[in-house]
Amino acid sequence: MLEVDTFTKYYGELCAVEDLSFRIEEGEFVTLLGPSGCGKSTTLHAIAGLVEPTDGRIRLRGTDVTDLPPEKRNIGMAFQSTALFPHMTVRENIAYGLKMHGYSAADVEERVEESLELVDMPDHGDHKPGELSGGQQQRVSLARSLAYEPDILLLDEPLTGLDRVLREEMRGWLNRIQREVNVTTLYVTHDQEDALSMSDKVVVLNDGQAQQIDSPERIYESPANPFVAEFVGKSTQFNGTVTHENGQAVVYNDEKRIALPDSSIDDDQSVSLYVRPEDIEVSPKPTGAENEFRGIVTDIANLGNRAELSATLEDGSTALAHTTRFPDIDVDDDIFLRFPAERVIVL
Amino acid sequence: MSTRTTAQLEGVTFRALITLVFAFLLLPVLIVILTSFTPQNFPAIPQEGLSLKWYQELLADQRLLSALTVSLIVSTVSAILSAIIGTIAAIGFVRGEFPYKEQISTVMLLPMIISPVITGIALVRYFSTIQLPSGFPALILGHTVLSLPYVFLLVRSELLTYDRDLERASRVLGADPVTTFRHVTGPIISPAILAGAFIAFVVSFGEFTATQFLISPGTSTVPVVIYTMLRTGLTPTINALSVVLIVVMLVLALASRKLSSA
Amino acid sequence: MSVQRGGLGRVTHIIGEGLEGRIANRHLALFGLGFVGLFFVLPILLLIPESLSLGSTTPFESYRRVMNGIYVDAFVRSFLYGFVTTGVTLALAYMLSYFLAFSTERVRTAMILIIVPLWIAYIVRYFGILLFLSPAGPLADLTGFETDLLFTTPAVVIGLANVYLPFAVLPIYNSLNAIDEELVNASRVLGAGKWRTITKVIFPLSLPGLVAAGLIVFILAAGSFLGPAVLGGPKQTMIANVIAQAFLDNFNIQFASALAIVYTVLLVGLLLVFNTLFDLQEVLGNI
Repeated sequence: MLEVDTFTKYYGELCAVEDLSFRIEEGEFVTLLGPSGCGKSTTLHAIAGLVEPTDGRIRLRGTDVTDLPPEKRNIGMAFQSTALFPHMTVRENIAYGLKMHGYSAADVEERVEESLELVDMPDHGDHKPGELSGGQQQRVSLARSLAYEPDILLLDEPLTGLDRVLREEMRGWLNRIQREVNVTTLYVTHDQEDALSMSDKVVVLNDGQAQQIDSPERIYESPANPFVAEFVGKSTQFNGTVTHENGQAVVYNDEKRIALPDSSIDDDQSVSLYVRPEDIEVSPKPTGAENEFRGIVTDIANLGNRAELSATLEDGSTALAHTTRFPDIDVDDDIFLRFPAERVIVL
Repeated sequence: MSTRTTAQLEGVTFRALITLVFAFLLLPVLIVILTSFTPQNFPAIPQEGLSLKWYQELLADQRLLSALTVSLIVSTVSAILSAIIGTIAAIGFVRGEFPYKEQISTVMLLPMIISPVITGIALVRYFSTIQLPSGFPALILGHTVLSLPYVFLLVRSELLTYDRDLERASRVLGADPVTTFRHVTGPIISPAILAGAFIAFVVSFGEFTATQFLISPGTSTVPVVIYTMLRTGLTPTINALSVVLIVVMLVLALASRKLSSA
Repeated sequence: MSVQRGGLGRVTHIIGEGLEGRIANRHLALFGLGFVGLFFVLPILLLIPESLSLGSTTPFESYRRVMNGIYVDAFVRSFLYGFVTTGVTLALAYMLSYFLAFSTERVRTAMILIIVPLWIAYIVRYFGILLFLSPAGPLADLTGFETDLLFTTPAVVIGLANVYLPFAVLPIYNSLNAIDEELVNASRVLGAGKWRTITKVIFPLSLPGLVAAGLIVFILAAGSFLGPAVLGGPKQTMIANVIAQAFLDNFNIQFASALAIVYTVLLVGLLLVFNTLFDLQEVLGNI
C-alpha cells in the first residue's frame, strides 16, 4: 500500500532521516513513534510531498510518487495545529478537498454531510473553526481529510494539544473511525501510550533511524535495543556480564544473582536487563525465590486502578513495581521484590 | 502633610498635566475644524452660529476641486501600486532565505528615514533624466516609493504570524500553489494588504514636502494648495479644504486599523 | 475580501507561485529591493555626481560654498532644533506613555486620541498651530490675549514637538507595557517608594523604548521642512528649507545636491553609530 524505501533527508549538512524503510499494508494503522526531533515529522511530510527527499523513493499503491506534488497524491492529512482554514466555515473546510478532487456540486454537498455525521458533528457545519473547542477542531480536521476517500491518512500528532481525559477518549474514537472507514493510516506521535493502544504496527524512530518495526506487543515485550526498551514503557534496569551456572545463564549485579530466561546466550557478554513494573511482585518478607531483591520504598504513587511503587535497591539503583491500589506498605518500609526469570528482557 | 494627601496631590497634578498634554496634541486640529464653520472672513471661532459658506466657496473654486481630484487619483493609484509591490517584497523577505536578510531589509525602509526634501529633489532630477513626464507619472511613482515602507511593515508582520500548515493542508487537500494562494493565503493576508493600502493612501494624501518638487502646473495636490494659500493669507477656505483632507484621511486610517486588528 | 481584482490576476499568480516556492522567494525580495533601488536609492546616489561640477577646474565649488557661514548656521540649527525638539517631545511622550501603561483603564480610547493626529497631514496640523499662535488668530480674537511667538524659534519647536509626539509615544509605551507588573510590585514590597520605583526600576527598563523614540523624533525633526516654513521666520531656516530654496527659487541643482549629500552623510553617520548600540530594525518596527 505505502512503501517508504531508503528515505533520506538532509537539511544542509544536518541529517534529519537516514535510510528509513518500512511498508504499510492495506487498512493497517501504523504509528511512527519517537522523541521530538527524531525525524518522524520529516518522514510524514515527505510522504505527503511537502518535503523533498534527499534520497530514496516513496511508493503509494505501487506507483512511485516521489516526484509528484502533494496535490497529485490523493493523501489525507490532519495536522497538530488542525490547520483548519479560519476564514471558512466547517462545511466549507470539508468541501475544499472535495472540490479540489473534482467532485460535482451535488456530491460535495452529500459527502460534506456524511463526513459531519461520521465525526458526530452534524450540527456544526456553519460554525467557523474559531468557535469550536480543541477536540471538535480535531474532529473537523479528520472529517476534512477523510471526505474525499484518500488512499492513506496521515496524522501528525493530532492529539498533542488535548488534555489527558479528552486524549484518551479521542484515541478510542479515532480507532473506531479508522475501522469504520477502513482507511490505511500512518500516525505520528511522541506519546508511547498513543502508539501502543492504537496501532497494528509501530515504527520506533530515533536520530533519524528506525530502531524497531514491530507490533505494539513485541515493541513492549521484546524491544530490539536499549533505546526502545527505555523509550517505550517503564522498567527497572540492571547491567552486568553473562556467565553460566549449571547450564543456566545468569548475571551478577553487585553480588546479586539474576537468572536469565534464555540459556543460549554466550558467556562474557555485557548486557542490559529490563524488567517491566507489572512483572515485579512485592512482599514485606523474603520468599527465597530466585531473582529476589531487597529494597526500601521511596514513593508510592496511586494511579487510580493500581499503585506504582518506587524502591531503592541495595546497590543504589531504583526499581519500579505495580501493586494493588492500596498496598499494605508505607514509604521507608523494607520490602522484597522479585520477578520470574522468563520476564527478564535481555539486550 | 500625610503621605496619603501627598499621593492624592501627586495624582491630581499628574492628571492635570496629562490633560494639558492631550490638549496640546489635539487642540490644533480641533481649532482648524471649528474655525472652518465661521461666518466671518477670517478663521475665527464661530460665536454666533455656524456657517457652511466656506465649504460652498470650496465647491465653487475650480482650482481646489482640481487639486482634490489630483490628490484622489495620485493617492489611489500609488496606494494600489505600493500594496502590490510591498506585499511581494514582504513575502520575499519573510519566506526567502539569503545572507544578511535583516540588514538588507532596512533598505526597504529607507524612504521613511531620508528627509523628504532630499527624496523630492533626487526624484525630480532622476525623473527628468529618464524622461518620465512630470505631473501624474512623477507624483504616482514618487508617492508609491514613499508609502511602500508602511505596506511592507504591515504585511511582513502579518506573514510572520501566519501558520504555514494552512498552505500545507491546502496542498494535501489537492490544491495547486496558485489555487492555494487564491483561496487560502490570499484571503487570510488580504485584510493586512488592504490595511497597508489604506495607510499608503493616507501617507500619500497628506504628503507635501517631496510632492512640492514633483507637481506640474496642472497637477497640484491638496496639501500643496493649502501651503500656497497659507503663504498668501489666512482665509477660512483653507480650513474647509483642511477639513476635507482630515475626513478622507481619518476614514481610511480608521478602516485600516479595523482591518489590521481584525 | 480581496484587493486583487480584474487585471490583477497575473499579480495574484506571481504571488501564488512565489508563496509556494516555484519562483524563488528571494526573487520576490529582489523585486522589492529593485524597485526601491531604482526609484529611490539610485536617484539619491545620483545627487553625488550632480553636486560636483565635473570637468570644470573647481569640482568642489558647491561644497566650498556649503562651508559658508549662513549654510553652516542652517546645519547647526537643524541639529540643535532636532535635539531640543527631541528633549521636549520625549518628556511629554514619557508622561503620556506612563499614563497609558499604568494609570488608565481606557487604554484603547487614549491610544486612539494619541494616534489620530498621526493620520492627519502635517500641513493641517502646522496650520492649526499657526492659528493658535497667530496674533490675529481665533485665540487672540476670542480671548484678546496675543502671543508674539509666531515666526520665532519657540514656535518652530512647539510645532515640531506637537507633530512628532505620537511617534515617540508608541515605542515608549511598548517598552513600559512590557515591564512585568510583578517587578513593580516587588520593588514596592521591598520598600521602595513610588518615585524610587520609577527611577530605579521602571525608567531603566523603559530605556530602550525611550532611545528608539528619541532617534525617530530626532531624524524627523532635524529634516523637517514644513515646521520652519510655516511657523518660523527667516532666522529659523533649517537645512531642508535651504535645500528647497536652492532648488526651487535659485534653480541651483548642484548646490542643493551638495547640501543634501552633506546632510545625509552626517545623518547616516549618526545612524551607524546608533545601529551599533541598538537594533535599527526593531526601532523602526515600533512605528
